[in-house]
Amino acid sequence: MEREPLIRSLAEVVGPEHVISDPDELRVYEVDGLTMYRAVPDLVVLPKGTPQVAAVVRICAREGIPFVPRGAGTGLSGGALPLKGGVVIGLSRMDRILEVDYVNQRAVVEPGLVNLWLSNAVGPQGYCYAPDPSSQGACSLGGNVAENAGGPHCLKYGVTTNHVLGLEVVLPSGEVVELGGWSVDPPGYDLAGVFVGSEGTFGIVTRIVVRLLKRPEAVKTMLLVFETIEDASATVSGIIGRGIVPAAIEMMDRLSIEAVEKGMQAGYPRDAGAVLLVELDGPRAEVEALVGSVIEVGRDMRLREVRIARDEAERTRLWKGRKGAFAAMGQISPAYYVQDGVIPRTQLLRILGEIEALSRRHGLRVANVFHAGDGNLHPLILYDNRVEGEAEKAEQLGAEIMKRCIAAGGSITGEHGVGFEKRDFMPLMYTPADLEAMLRLKRVWNPDGLCNPGKIFPVAKSCVEVGRAGRVQPSGSAPHRIEREGLGERY
Amino acid sequence: MRNAECGIMDELRKHLESIVGPEHLQVGDRAAEYAVDDRQPETVVFPETVEEVSAALAICHETRVAVVPWGGGTMMGLGNPPTRLSVVMVLTRLNKILDFEPADMTSTIQAGVNLDAYQEVLSRSGQFLALDPPRAERATIGGILASNASGPRRLRYGTARDLVIGARIVQADGVVTKAGAKVVKNVTGYDMNKLYVGSLGTLGVIVDASVRLHPIPPSRGTLLAAFGNVRSAQAAILRILDSPLVPSAVELIAPLAWAQVSRLSDLSAPGEGFVLAVEMASIQEAVAAQLAAARKICAEAGAAEVWAIETGKEKAFWRAVRDFQPDGEGGAILKASLLPGSLAQACLVGLRVADRTGLRLAVIAEAGTAVVRYFLAGDGPAEERDGRIAAAVSALREFAARSRGHLVLEAASARVKRSVDVWGPVGTSLPLMQRIKAAFDPRGILNPGRFAGGL
Repeated sequence: MEREPLIRSLAEVVGPEHVISDPDELRVYEVDGLTMYRAVPDLVVLPKGTPQVAAVVRICAREGIPFVPRGAGTGLSGGALPLKGGVVIGLSRMDRILEVDYVNQRAVVEPGLVNLWLSNAVGPQGYCYAPDPSSQGACSLGGNVAENAGGPHCLKYGVTTNHVLGLEVVLPSGEVVELGGWSVDPPGYDLAGVFVGSEGTFGIVTRIVVRLLKRPEAVKTMLLVFETIEDASATVSGIIGRGIVPAAIEMMDRLSIEAVEKGMQAGYPRDAGAVLLVELDGPRAEVEALVGSVIEVGRDMRLREVRIARDEAERTRLWKGRKGAFAAMGQISPAYYVQDGVIPRTQLLRILGEIEALSRRHGLRVANVFHAGDGNLHPLILYDNRVEGEAEKAEQLGAEIMKRCIAAGGSITGEHGVGFEKRDFMPLMYTPADLEAMLRLKRVWNPDGLCNPGKIFPVAKSCVEVGRAGRVQPSGSAPHRIEREGLGERY
Repeated sequence: MRNAECGIMDELRKHLESIVGPEHLQVGDRAAEYAVDDRQPETVVFPETVEEVSAALAICHETRVAVVPWGGGTMMGLGNPPTRLSVVMVLTRLNKILDFEPADMTSTIQAGVNLDAYQEVLSRSGQFLALDPPRAERATIGGILASNASGPRRLRYGTARDLVIGARIVQADGVVTKAGAKVVKNVTGYDMNKLYVGSLGTLGVIVDASVRLHPIPPSRGTLLAAFGNVRSAQAAILRILDSPLVPSAVELIAPLAWAQVSRLSDLSAPGEGFVLAVEMASIQEAVAAQLAAARKICAEAGAAEVWAIETGKEKAFWRAVRDFQPDGEGGAILKASLLPGSLAQACLVGLRVADRTGLRLAVIAEAGTAVVRYFLAGDGPAEERDGRIAAAVSALREFAARSRGHLVLEAASARVKRSVDVWGPVGTSLPLMQRIKAAFDPRGILNPGRFAGGL
């Protein structure tokens, strides 16, 4: 279909003001959280309501046009990049809470709703939505579903899939189906379970039925300070070994503390080798006893200092440091590339040692911020994107780290997804038969391959993919029009 | 059977014998022990390794014969009668614990591992697999996962869907594939575990699984509260759920069920009426504090009696709850998934329906997750009784649907199963499920017809 008639068709569905075709405006949608790469869509539409989403998808399906769903564009694996151009379908206008049922502890929300806003909305009644990715102030629940997002509190409470009961989905054919439901164990295959984490390759979620959780009676947040990563790591093992399951255990190394303190003064000690941010929650009697146990374990491992947040304000400040850690990297480096490998907890020290060795060999610094409780690492590879070849070096270092994680019996991604970024690494974890089974499943949902093409699976290398007709390009340091005209700065 | 068919079946049997060895293959009368509803297999095989499972399935696939995987046999009542059945494949010889690293709180076990035996090994390191389905002394991991069997503690820990992190599957054509990983945090590719768990072996045979484990809580305690009427019991339940208390289990046990449970667990203060059982698990101080808080809630909601289970009787009590069966022969077990707010209504409607159809009804509900089990029993000639059970199923299914839920038959006679749909309506996603089944088992040899939608 020619561009103008396509724009008209789409405008008929969503209204002309919600079809974006101006090149400068389209560039807003050329990146997501994986800022290393960009791919410009042909068009962007912003539908409101399931019928509009379905109608847009039907047009794309009929005309053979690739389409890519997009939540808040905070994803870190390039999942929202329109690699083959086509239409980006942005869900940001679908941001309502449709129903909250406190008695039965469920809610129905639209995919464009910001994660944190749901918890904030049900907070006054003493409830929350448990999965709390660090980007929760900006990320969308639809995106969370696509990636099966986690967050620090998933150690105790589980990830997105453990909190989703049902989904309404627009299939790549334009058909609308319900997966799962309002009550548990619906008959048939767990299609809602299979859809969560499918990274937008099975269709577009338009409604989500989620579990709500009653907020715990007591919360205690502590910062444990250590001279060395070894001591911090041993403390994590000791805590787990005592049968304690904190709500969260996060670790940060010296370099990440430096960045965080430069950026936001969260009160982390700059001369520490490592800190543990440990949060305990639950019944008051349990929390109060366990605080003592945790500190005891720390002292056995040469704990230097412990700070317990005395009130909500102090707690928020401690968390600010952790949750703002990625963004804070901008304080100590022009650019960073974050990894998401997972290793068994018992391999933690060994892998950190390997990462350090790799960092020296590649000549790039790596800051470590991660979910120590479940072995989900977030090595932040620091590089200068203005220096030729450094981005590639960072990518190579990232690839090495991923390989080591798999060799250690882990996984290449614990939360951020495969997306575009890690698709070539899939064969490191899965055999051709394993991948074939996944592709077979994908073909059931997305037989024409139009829905979010080029994601998750390695693609045959051909000149079509690399460069010429393929849309994706390294972002490099090409300034945006806004920067060129001095209207704004990148930060 | 025609001669040609006999010839093919003989060939198949010879092949299977060469794969598993003649001592691990049964035919005739011995095969009859492995009947599925009213269908008997011709051959029963007992493979020992993944390679044997793979080779056996491959030859069944080639011969296009129907295969039913079998673990401990504890959930074989679930599902429609198979549309056809030639081979039962028993997985109990795949019974190794492949790895268990206590410091990682994960473990990988073969499908034939018995749950009780596994828990015993885990307990030596202070850990457990947070699954408490019925008849754990016989149930195997593979069967539990395939049927997504669960118990009262799902309230706190979830089900197999929340606990399985990886699995190895032998597909219908014998090809072995892997799902997930051995670490808890993993979003690499699709969550294929979710496809296999609960799919009753219709998409592949689980041969091993990796699971996440939990530390055994230092202390447990169970509180019982007897209510004169079910609405007061529901009020107590809702208040407990709306509180910051973290119970491991909250069970609502209706009078007829309570009589049986208290007798089987030898409780000397039987109580009467609708009994609420609340289990707390944590450090000792927190268990005591939470039980006290629960006691207060129950008393304020109008409980006639509130008391703690006598020490030493808790295990027997919870086993009696988990393993509850209808009394007598030829009963049925219905599992309704509802909402906590409709529990009282579910009990009352159940009693009305039982009354109308002349059946005895025991009800036990996992109150927090609103999984309500109706245990129906009746007297009289089998055919006529089955007709009444079928009528009860239809009525209760209608109630479940009106309450935004659904109802599945977990156990019933073959006659009842042929007159009512075991699973109930699947909804708008049925075509998707059909396409998935067609993609993963194009010849339809795995448990044909037994699953939802006749898959």
